[in-house]
Amino acid sequence: MFVLMFYDVGEKRVAKVLKTARRYLTWIQNSVLEGDLTPAQLEALKIDVKKVIDEKYDSVLLYVWRVERYMQRDSLGVERGTTDYMV
Amino acid sequence: MGKTLYLMNSGELRRRGDTLCIVRELEKPRFLPVESTDEILAFGEIDFNKNLLEFLTQKQIIIHFFNYYGYYMGTFYPREHLNAGAVILAQAAHYMDPVRRQAIASAFIGGAIENMKKVAGYYKRRAALEVDDILSDLDSFAETASKTGDIASLMGIEGNARNRYYQFFDRLNTDPDFQMVTRTRRPPSNRMNALISFLNSMCYVLAISQIYRTYLDPRIGFLHETNFRSFSLNLDIAEIFKPILVDRTIFSLVNKRMIQEKHFEKQSGGGIYLNEKGREIVLRAWEERIKETIELPQLKRKVSYRGLVRMEAYKIQKHILEGEKYVPFVSRW
Repeated sequence: MFVLMFYDVGEKRVAKVLKTARRYLTWIQNSVLEGDLTPAQLEALKIDVKKVIDEKYDSVLLYVWRVERYMQRDSLGVERGTTDYMV
Repeated sequence: MGKTLYLMNSGELRRRGDTLCIVRELEKPRFLPVESTDEILAFGEIDFNKNLLEFLTQKQIIIHFFNYYGYYMGTFYPREHLNAGAVILAQAAHYMDPVRRQAIASAFIGGAIENMKKVAGYYKRRAALEVDDILSDLDSFAETASKTGDIASLMGIEGNARNRYYQFFDRLNTDPDFQMVTRTRRPPSNRMNALISFLNSMCYVLAISQIYRTYLDPRIGFLHETNFRSFSLNLDIAEIFKPILVDRTIFSLVNKRMIQEKHFEKQSGGGIYLNEKGREIVLRAWEERIKETIELPQLKRKVSYRGLVRMEAYKIQKHILEGEKYVPFVSRW
């Protein structure tokens, strides 16, 4: 599944959420990550993120597509992160 | 199925922030998602420490190393995470018993020849190529292989069939820059041979990575002798897929002129190798090819070629454990 993740969390927890999310997804720009996950990995990501956020205050959004093909991705300006696997 | 990371340039690969990270001079550290990575292919000069290897073991990520010329050097095969004594015993028992070993070995050859025929037949239709003589020879090789009892002569038939099949390469591709003439290895003597050697080794490591995800032991092969070389089952499985994955990728690269004379260089020892740019083009085409999915009627769903290699391993596992006869994968077109 193709996953887009956005987070808006208290300043103290920004680094923690980023660190957790980076294990599953690729950093695209501040507070945004994307990547291909299996359903199980997506659940694992959610569980891990829940451990570090304050559920009464923070907000994390996950957009999920069944396959990347149905998504159109346009980009303006600078591409900050890349998902290329040949580095 | 996880992703494959190709490390083309030099740098430090390390564990940082509980995930993988590439650190290079004058560049921001680049983090990679460890949870969705299955294997790493290291081509550049990679620095790493034991801490990283521990991390890779824990995450069950296999890493393959290649030298400056893209020649396969070895694999860091993390401790088996799928362990079953029963499977190892069954695998060894099938290896030790000449009759049972021969049954599996000749299935590999049958599958390999069948797929060679599919590839040659495909270009016969598409490029109106005269290949009937090669096809009928392949038929007779398959016929003799199915009757041959001993492994050494099976290997011989395999070699002869492949040599005959390779003659079709120069008929299909008339570009003088990419004539094969004869198959040469160690070192490859021309560009076509360099392409074949490089992609064959990609096919071998693909099979290792997929065997790692099953209970099978990659050290015990059936067609290829189990000896003091580290892996041999991967060579058996790769045999089936080489025509449809390696050769088709080569034809597409050469015919579309994606790969050209300038992408090769001569080594002082006399061999011809892909240069860095050429290697990247070939690897991108390879990754595209093995990611491609096809519909499997018996499963009623789509499977990538990479997944198909894994399924081949599962089929062998079923054969040795449950006696469900192993039928090699044969491309439908």
